[in-house]
Amino acid sequence: MKVSFKGVFLAIVLTIVGWSPASAKGRSAKHRMDPVPYANMPNWAVPFGRFRKPYYRWYVEPSTLGYDGAAREMPNGILSRLKTINIGVLAPLDKDNPDSVYGIPMLHGAELAVARANARGGYDGKPFALKVHDDLPLWGASSMAIDKMDYDQHVWAMLGSVNSASTHIELRAALKLEIPILDTATNDPTVTETRVPWLLHNFPDDRQQGYALADYIFNQLKLKHVVVLRATNRYGRKGDEVFLDVARRLSHQPVLEAKFNPGEQDFSTQLRMLREQGFDGLVIWGNAPETGRILKQMRALGMKQPVFASSRACYPQVIKIAGRAAEGLVTVCAMNPDRKDPQWLRFRRQYLERFHTQPDAYAAYAYDGMNILIGAIKEAGLNRGRIMDALRKYEMHGYQGVSGYAFFDYTLNNIAPVTLARVRNGKFIYWPEHRTDWRGSLPPFMQQAARLANR
Amino acid sequence: MRPRLFYRWRTALLLILTAAARLAAQNPPLYTKWINYTPANGFPEGEVYSVAVEGHRVWAGTAHGLALIENGRVRKVFTTANGLAGDAVMSVAIDPRTGDVWAGTFGGLSRYSGGRFKNYTNLSSGLANDLVYGVAVQGRYVWVATAAGVNRFDTYTGAWSIWNETNAPFEEPWCYGIVATPKKIYVAAWGGGVLVYDLAGRYWKPYTDPDGSMEIVLYRNEGLIHNIVSGIAYNSAMRMFWASTYFGLSGFDGRNWHNYLTKDSGLASNFINGVQTRGNEVWACTQKGLSEFDYKTKVWVTYRPANWRALDAAKAVKDSPGEVIVTWPDGKKRKLTTATSLAHNYTLNLAFQGKDIWVATAQGLSHGTIQISAGGKN
Repeated sequence: MKVSFKGVFLAIVLTIVGWSPASAKGRSAKHRMDPVPYANMPNWAVPFGRFRKPYYRWYVEPSTLGYDGAAREMPNGILSRLKTINIGVLAPLDKDNPDSVYGIPMLHGAELAVARANARGGYDGKPFALKVHDDLPLWGASSMAIDKMDYDQHVWAMLGSVNSASTHIELRAALKLEIPILDTATNDPTVTETRVPWLLHNFPDDRQQGYALADYIFNQLKLKHVVVLRATNRYGRKGDEVFLDVARRLSHQPVLEAKFNPGEQDFSTQLRMLREQGFDGLVIWGNAPETGRILKQMRALGMKQPVFASSRACYPQVIKIAGRAAEGLVTVCAMNPDRKDPQWLRFRRQYLERFHTQPDAYAAYAYDGMNILIGAIKEAGLNRGRIMDALRKYEMHGYQGVSGYAFFDYTLNNIAPVTLARVRNGKFIYWPEHRTDWRGSLPPFMQQAARLANR
Repeated sequence: MRPRLFYRWRTALLLILTAAARLAAQNPPLYTKWINYTPANGFPEGEVYSVAVEGHRVWAGTAHGLALIENGRVRKVFTTANGLAGDAVMSVAIDPRTGDVWAGTFGGLSRYSGGRFKNYTNLSSGLANDLVYGVAVQGRYVWVATAAGVNRFDTYTGAWSIWNETNAPFEEPWCYGIVATPKKIYVAAWGGGVLVYDLAGRYWKPYTDPDGSMEIVLYRNEGLIHNIVSGIAYNSAMRMFWASTYFGLSGFDGRNWHNYLTKDSGLASNFINGVQTRGNEVWACTQKGLSEFDYKTKVWVTYRPANWRALDAAKAVKDSPGEVIVTWPDGKKRKLTTATSLAHNYTLNLAFQGKDIWVATAQGLSHGTIQISAGGKN
């Protein structure tokens, strides 16, 4: 079953990726696909789906990100007056910032994509240049970076950030200043639920992760009494919200929710509380170091229940910290780094040569995101409104990158199936998400994409 | 005149007057004469984010500074070179007591007083964040909506107060718009709905989307239509606040919500950048034109350039023809064309000057005056 699914999956992916935004030029609106369920949502996760049809559904129409502003009418940049084609980057880079473990690979991925584009001639002979800004831990403090990118550095687009609060702030500013954004690292699903047409997001968000975990835990493993332990930061809060919602809709309201502060060392209070409650599965929404420590302390207390975690736990660090206690941990992963496709292997080799370390998901998605952005600039020219138009051509279309296959819905969010991983013998073993509601077939949006490709 | 005949005539006259009043109400006055301020007449290029009126003076916050229009002429454009905190001016408020002009910019808060700017930033004052979206004056206090919460600045003592997710019921602290009334402060929060501060009770009351789902509107008038609120206005005559969102328009009368989408009204677009209100009128600044809603008669009027779908910069700076669409409560529509129009269909904000209106658009500031009613001919 698994083999046949993979075969069909690959065949469809190869069919779809034959499409490129350029080839879609001139395709009339009537040839666009019909709306598909929002965000790859299973029927059981539809809000109030058992009780009532909503008065109005957002995000399922081609007009979701309709833009009637004046950005396209602004004069184009004059190439002869430019030394470089500037692209902004906002990422947590200071090594004292815990999010820099995601921000530094993200910057490296973007740098690699720019180097490659410049080696191929840049933009009509002018090199692309990154204007890099550090996303400070005090999230409000980085907000002025957007203003500087616009007024001082005259960027044509930007990439960033990791922290979803920073990304929301940059999104609001970008809406006013009209700057296209490639968001390659945020988990927060609300970033693309604003109807702001200036942002494309390719990292698997918490909504996709929540659906995958809930289906695996409740529908496939048939667990019933699950508890949640999550970080008190925005990452933990937003991810947990999605998981709680879908669990509730599956009639498996988590029996207890406990919290921990980022960087916390001792989890004995929370773990004893959970043990008192009694449960048959634990879901952790937090970073890898905390997840590793929780696993270690949990097993030391004799608690043997299965543990599941969000994508930020899918790091070797979790195994390094937890040791044998990590065995059996199941996490969502942003991508499968064990893939053998030439595109990924080439990227991995080039990244290793340049940065002397293995690339992670944040590097891969930033590389893909920057390539999408550069492609849009090359296609549209030096006009932000038209660059945004070029990005919008990805609506209901796919992109095959080094991070894997991405598919963008009407909100320009990547809703492609995620990857799951289990720790076995000290290593992550990966497999593609295969939700029960797909009934051994492909997700509905991919079926529709295949129908479009066959027209 | 015999009494019987007098009563007959009086009844007939009353009927005629009632019918005429009803007809007049159903045929609202229309803004059909537009004067546009663009780079062609010395106005800054690009978006106009905000506008405020002070007697015969009009202040406009633009992407390239704070513009002053006096007696129909662009008098001055203030930029960072003149001491303004930031060139992108998101909001303007005028202190009626002192005449001071407060400008919320993407570089902090500016106070223009006595011909000089004094700036307040995150580093130099208690300002919560340098991205300032909204500013409002309430007596001695200046209220500020920033990307990281709400500030109150006491102009007498220089003291700053701050409210955000740590000390108030803010679902999200990213504030967009702010309105000050003698009793309450109304805040539009991106992702956080509407927050109302009771000045006497010193407490915040949040209003959020009750279905809790970004992707649906469960019932039409369920509550605030969506949590991503872009603007806020209070109408003392209706005793209602109105919230603009990127997902439709919401009004709250203290008991019931009144929500409007393009599918059930004459609203030009669900993507609304700002809202203002006057008398029975609610004005929604949408990306497909400026929609006026008469709350009493339920008549909608939308203004935009006739060629708005193919608008380009060259046409925008000239007086292109306009289109006016009147939508009556039964859904019937009437389209009129006018010789002049708004500078652009993408509208961001609005201010009133007597019966006139000033509209901030994506390509200039527009001054509209009433010429005819919807029942008349152009």
